[in-house]
Amino acid sequence: MKILALAKYSLDVAEIRVDSASGALRMTGVPQRFGDLDKGAVEVAVRLKETSDAVVEVLCLGPPAARAATKDVLAMGADEATVIEDPYDGAADAAVAARVLEAAIRKRGPFDLIICGFASDDGYSHQTGPRLAERLGLPFVSYAREISLEGGVLMADRDLEDGIQTVSVPLPAIVSVAEEAFVPRRVTLLQAMKAQKKPTNMWSLEQDLGLSEEALDKVSGYSVICETGIVVDRKQHMLKGMDVTEMADLFIDMLVEEEVLALKGGG
Amino acid sequence: MAAGILVWSECPALALELLGKARRLADAAAGEVSLCISGDVGAAELEVYAANGADVVYVTETSEVDAARWASVLGVVIARSRPSLVLIGATKAGLEVAPRVAERTEAAYAAWAVAIEIDPTTGATTASCMVYAGAGVAKYRFSRGVTVLTAAQGAFEASELEGRAARAESVMLPNEMPEITVLSQRTKATGGARLEEAKTVVDIGRGVKELDDLEMIRSLMSLLDAQLGCSRPVSSDRDWLPEWLGLSGVKVKPELCLTIGLSGAIQHMVGIRDSRVVAAVDNDQDAAIFTQADIGVVADLNEFLPVLIERLQARGARPIWV
Repeated sequence: MKILALAKYSLDVAEIRVDSASGALRMTGVPQRFGDLDKGAVEVAVRLKETSDAVVEVLCLGPPAARAATKDVLAMGADEATVIEDPYDGAADAAVAARVLEAAIRKRGPFDLIICGFASDDGYSHQTGPRLAERLGLPFVSYAREISLEGGVLMADRDLEDGIQTVSVPLPAIVSVAEEAFVPRRVTLLQAMKAQKKPTNMWSLEQDLGLSEEALDKVSGYSVICETGIVVDRKQHMLKGMDVTEMADLFIDMLVEEEVLALKGGG
Repeated sequence: MAAGILVWSECPALALELLGKARRLADAAAGEVSLCISGDVGAAELEVYAANGADVVYVTETSEVDAARWASVLGVVIARSRPSLVLIGATKAGLEVAPRVAERTEAAYAAWAVAIEIDPTTGATTASCMVYAGAGVAKYRFSRGVTVLTAAQGAFEASELEGRAARAESVMLPNEMPEITVLSQRTKATGGARLEEAKTVVDIGRGVKELDDLEMIRSLMSLLDAQLGCSRPVSSDRDWLPEWLGLSGVKVKPELCLTIGLSGAIQHMVGIRDSRVVAAVDNDQDAAIFTQADIGVVADLNEFLPVLIERLQARGARPIWV
């Protein structure tokens, strides 16, 4: 059995700063990594591998720097990784990314199971799973919490808006994992060392997938006029390192000053 | 060019908000607004949809929220009514249906719209959408026949007008075997809290470790006249509360939002950043929440909160509106 985990080498959005005067997003220096959601997808794949004879591959559309990071997911237990060098620098529209991933999946597959996060950490638009389901013509189980395999059938608990739904689906299928559902394992030094010897393939759009950037540019159907950051302008008064009673009283005083609280008798 | 706009959300309140926005856009561009829903639509329901802005109501029999099925329904309606814009509610189901519809109809799609305009002469759509999980907003110009946008609850307002009428049309679908078999379903507990209207919200994150701690937090809430909100992990992972605050959840704008044990992830902050005052209690002084709060307290919750409760009581502190 072949399992594929999709992992995006995504921006750490918590590190995005906004210039408070101009409202411009400061994107330089924002670190990139495989996010917890993406590692969660790898975690599921590796857990399923432990209870079956599966081979686990990881696929990433990302910058050359993602190559080194694939060793982290290989250390978790994946067998082989492929990075498609991203000419869009992480900013490709989801429609474009889905076409690239589809081409790579068709070339490396067929896979019995494809696992992805329900959304990427940086784009957060929830599109890759559903788009691949449409393009590959596969059933799609979204927002999965519990996942198990038995006799070519996948069972999962889906975390929906107002309930938990238990479903089954015959393989091949695509699954997206819910937030926090699968905490990525810590790897040992030995696993990290072994991962250095596991293969990471570096693919290019044109040579390996036969896709042209020019054709892909026409796919998204929209253009970006401008991008601005949301300016958070808070007072940031900090209370720390004091006696807790003192902090509680100062906290109450500040809320009185902010006209949130009133004290009995004004005291 | 007349701008036809199609609206769908399985969440009734959100569908009405999107209808309101669609109506205002269509009025400016002389277009027609249609709504897609499931179930029986009687004269009374039709009147409500008409008052909220619909000209046409497409009715289908699909009762379950099956994203693949809804994508088929919307595909049929789009082929029939040829809208230039499709507005879908950004719920979990909607966020799955929208990219499926975009793939099937070759539409351009962007998620998390917060502003939409249609040029009355060219009919071209521009939209501002939240990007980087809410850290920024990007403005897009769409160049395709059909544009699909998703928008979360609270992004747009519903509006009612009297004296409008709508017609109903039924949508028949070929029988498709569902790809997924539903074995069982259990409903999450409902909260009933009116978070959107609360003047104080106590917002708990993963730093609140034990369900027993909620008792202490509830004493604090009663002193502050507060409603309880939480981050998505607390809701989804632990199932403590049915609703969460954030990009994909409820958005609040109270006088005071007091966060407890919350890290300040951007997806969550989107839900509370319109609060007038944000105060935060957390034991990690490097937590992102402190750069996004007016007042920050670096302390262990179990040490600080009991003392805070005691001091609020001793000093007779109450919210000024109580």
